[in-house]
Amino acid sequence: MTPALLGNLGVSLALAFSLLGLAMALLAYFQGDGRFLKGAKALVLPALFAALAAFLALEWALLTHDFSVAYVARNHTLKDPLWVTLVTPWAALEGSILLWGLLQTLYTLLASRRALDPWRASLVLAVLFGIQVFFFGVMATIASPFQTLPNPPADGMGPNPLLQNHWMMAVHPVLMYLGFVGLSVPFAYAVAAMGVRRYQTWVEETRWWTLIAWGFLTAGKVAGMWWSYEVLGWGGYWAWDPVENASFIPWLLATAFLHTAIVQQTRGAFKAWNFAFVTLAFAATVLGTFLTRSGVIQSVHAFAEGPVGPAFLGFFLLATALGLGLLSRVNREVRDTAVFRPLSREGALLLGAFFFAGWALVVVLGTFYPLLAEALAGAKVSVGAPFFNQLSAPIGAGILLLMGVGPILPWRRPRPEVFRNLYFLLAVLALGTLLGLLRGYTLGASLAVGLFLYNLLAIFLLVREGVVARVRAGLSPWSFLENHRRVGSLVVHFAVALMGLGIAFSQTYRLEAEKTLYRGQAWEAGGVRMELMGVRALDEGRRFAVEALLRTDRFGEVRPRLHFYPQMNSPLPAPKVVYTPGNDYYFLLMDFDREKGEWASLRLIVTPLVFWMWVAGVLMALGTLYILWPVGRAEEARGVSPA
Amino acid sequence: MRGWLWILVVLALGGLFYWGMQRNPKELPSVLAKERRPAPEFTLPVLPPYRGEWGETFRLSDHLGQKPVVLNFWASWCYPACYEEAPVLEEAWRRYRDRALFLGVNTQDKEAEALRFGEQFGLTFPQVFDPRGRVGVDYGMYGVPETFFIDREGRVVARHAGAIDAATLEKYLKEVLP
Amino acid sequence: MRFLLLLALLALSAWAQEPAAPPPDLSPEVFAIARELRCPVCQGESAAESNSGVAVEMRRIIAEMLEEGKSKEEIKAFFVERYGEWILYAPPRRGVTLWVWVLPVLGLALLGLGLFAYFRPKKPLPPELLEEAERRLKEPPT
Repeated sequence: MTPALLGNLGVSLALAFSLLGLAMALLAYFQGDGRFLKGAKALVLPALFAALAAFLALEWALLTHDFSVAYVARNHTLKDPLWVTLVTPWAALEGSILLWGLLQTLYTLLASRRALDPWRASLVLAVLFGIQVFFFGVMATIASPFQTLPNPPADGMGPNPLLQNHWMMAVHPVLMYLGFVGLSVPFAYAVAAMGVRRYQTWVEETRWWTLIAWGFLTAGKVAGMWWSYEVLGWGGYWAWDPVENASFIPWLLATAFLHTAIVQQTRGAFKAWNFAFVTLAFAATVLGTFLTRSGVIQSVHAFAEGPVGPAFLGFFLLATALGLGLLSRVNREVRDTAVFRPLSREGALLLGAFFFAGWALVVVLGTFYPLLAEALAGAKVSVGAPFFNQLSAPIGAGILLLMGVGPILPWRRPRPEVFRNLYFLLAVLALGTLLGLLRGYTLGASLAVGLFLYNLLAIFLLVREGVVARVRAGLSPWSFLENHRRVGSLVVHFAVALMGLGIAFSQTYRLEAEKTLYRGQAWEAGGVRMELMGVRALDEGRRFAVEALLRTDRFGEVRPRLHFYPQMNSPLPAPKVVYTPGNDYYFLLMDFDREKGEWASLRLIVTPLVFWMWVAGVLMALGTLYILWPVGRAEEARGVSPA
Repeated sequence: MRGWLWILVVLALGGLFYWGMQRNPKELPSVLAKERRPAPEFTLPVLPPYRGEWGETFRLSDHLGQKPVVLNFWASWCYPACYEEAPVLEEAWRRYRDRALFLGVNTQDKEAEALRFGEQFGLTFPQVFDPRGRVGVDYGMYGVPETFFIDREGRVVARHAGAIDAATLEKYLKEVLP
Repeated sequence: MRFLLLLALLALSAWAQEPAAPPPDLSPEVFAIARELRCPVCQGESAAESNSGVAVEMRRIIAEMLEEGKSKEEIKAFFVERYGEWILYAPPRRGVTLWVWVLPVLGLALLGLGLFAYFRPKKPLPPELLEEAERRLKEPPT
């Protein structure tokens, strides 16, 4: 038994089980026969085991340096440390698809364990098996991770150096995949609900699944931002690169759904919109992969162009057609009759949905406009960060505004006492903005300060309300924490407000300068004084490193580096970031004297509040986890929700 | 009608992306060639082996207006494209040297490596040295190798991006030769 | 000693650029302008972010032009003249790229219109449609 044999066997079996499962699930639905459903359910676990076997086979091949496997020869080298070897399965296309397939089988397993009526259960399984068929089909045909080489080399090329520069690269892709794949379950639920025309009940269950995927997506994106900031050496965390955008679109649509789902649960409205958000979010995840792998648009993420582009395009079109086709039926059959007042919870949620969907639209248009312009007008144009920033700023401000006021407003119509809170909130918003302006901040940054304080107050008011209501009912004030959904969402909202503040300030007040220092020369910039003590080189086995030794007045010795990898023809900067609560100090070695080590070119980037964005990211993940944390049955039944 | 709108949407998306896959997103038209602009002027040091024949420095305007000029930007680190086209250019230069001037602009390179490259392919047409790549920016170059064809009036007529093959070179030369 | 070893290796590796002199000092304004320009050889990076030779040279050109007293607009025009409007990361609000600014606003307006309907009272559904819906809810799907 060789790894390649086991791997191919695993992939083939997973494909066979998925195909069979798809057939069984479809039969169960169309024949209305429960035995087929049982059969389909029985195939979920074998498919998972087969996928797991294939994945472990790839790890096995990597750990035993089996260079007869083409994937190992291309992406692994004997010099790799153990952790790099272990994460190499998702360092390139074929392995990533394998990981994707494995996670898909895992989600299919979890979804198949939830109780559903047999009609929808069959359709959910059919959709999930169908997705598995696609992934394992791709692996079995055009992008096999276990292709073998007739003449295996003695050593391989190693993974892309960018991916082994930081341990975060081990985490970010997995989180992203968990998020992307997680959105397949809401998609399956939506398709099933539309298929059997149960337009109401699916929302509750789907919201739970979407929240799981949302949590992973959020964590994955923040991890990616952090990695980009710490590793890529450009001092930014978000570049509005097409592939970043493509993963931002499902996030926005999922966020919209998480909010409008509440409206449907309470007011029964918004049915068609909810289906649209969920189906399009899933389609967008496939689209993102298509963009990454087809080279259709220029992007830093456009990895090696492989043969999978057309396959992913076909899959995307199929998913979109299925979603839109069913959606057009829903649209014909469903008409929302509810009338909303602007000053109500549903009114705020609806406006929020408008902003999220609108933002997604802006991102879609900006990302694909160059392609469209070239197709229709033959013109080469670029749409980049300045465009997205200009349009996103007002949308983001609108979201932050609604986020504060929304949870305060009651359903249907405002009660008189709510107005007092509203005036209070608006006063804080105005005051905070004014304070910012007086401190000399720009209007945007001042507004961000105002919105942050305003949201802080809104959260405080909500917590107070909840605690007071419990104390009045003779409960402990801490019992407020038992309302997981409320507390968790407040944590997430706080984190979003904090993130907003961080984004506003880091985008507005970023100082970036470059200077060449000779040994012993000092430079004072951005409130820090540094002196170049020298330049030295280190041999680290798989790479060379050049270090500039800087003595700073505030942070002691700082050593930004350049890494030289044999497989790269230009060095990779390894910045040194010093976080402080106020500003981030980002030291980069740009260039150095190759003859005598007499001088070094250094770039200093000072960005405010970036540290708090990472804190916000952690809080978002924790808040989501808190919402999802299983609640005891008794508490759920009590359903205390005073606000 | 409204019920079938989604099919149109799917078809349009499919068409757009399918078309997008067939083309190379990196391919950019040259502003100079499109508008037939006069070739931007430059003066650059000549690489040592060519100094005997061409002098210490090379000024483009001294050579415009007599013969068409084929301007080739290259670098020794540009593998494999520059290595593929070097023999093609040398062969064409030997054939056309009375009727056109070939000029190699070594871009963002180290002198020693540029010399080694020149020796490896026995390049006999003049080579100038632009370690920072300033001239490349003036020509709107977005990546080595690129070849510009300048006619007798000193206007840029065509630009070829990527390694050039004999047939393409021949085609563009016909355009600029009288 | 180690340094020499490294140098030998660097000389062997095909390494992109080696400036003869140390690069010039770059002020924050240089980066502000470079961020709005696309790096021509990169896969979607700005001239401020990229470390490619062309981007380095572009930053140098920007610094020199600023020193000559050129304005931001003049510097951007300098690059547009050479590379076309493709080099601008902020699409100009005219010509082909006018639409990228118009379409989102148009889309947002349409979306807003669709949502605005929720804030207006509607005619009630005809009773037979409601009955039909009730009936369907009770029936198993077909």
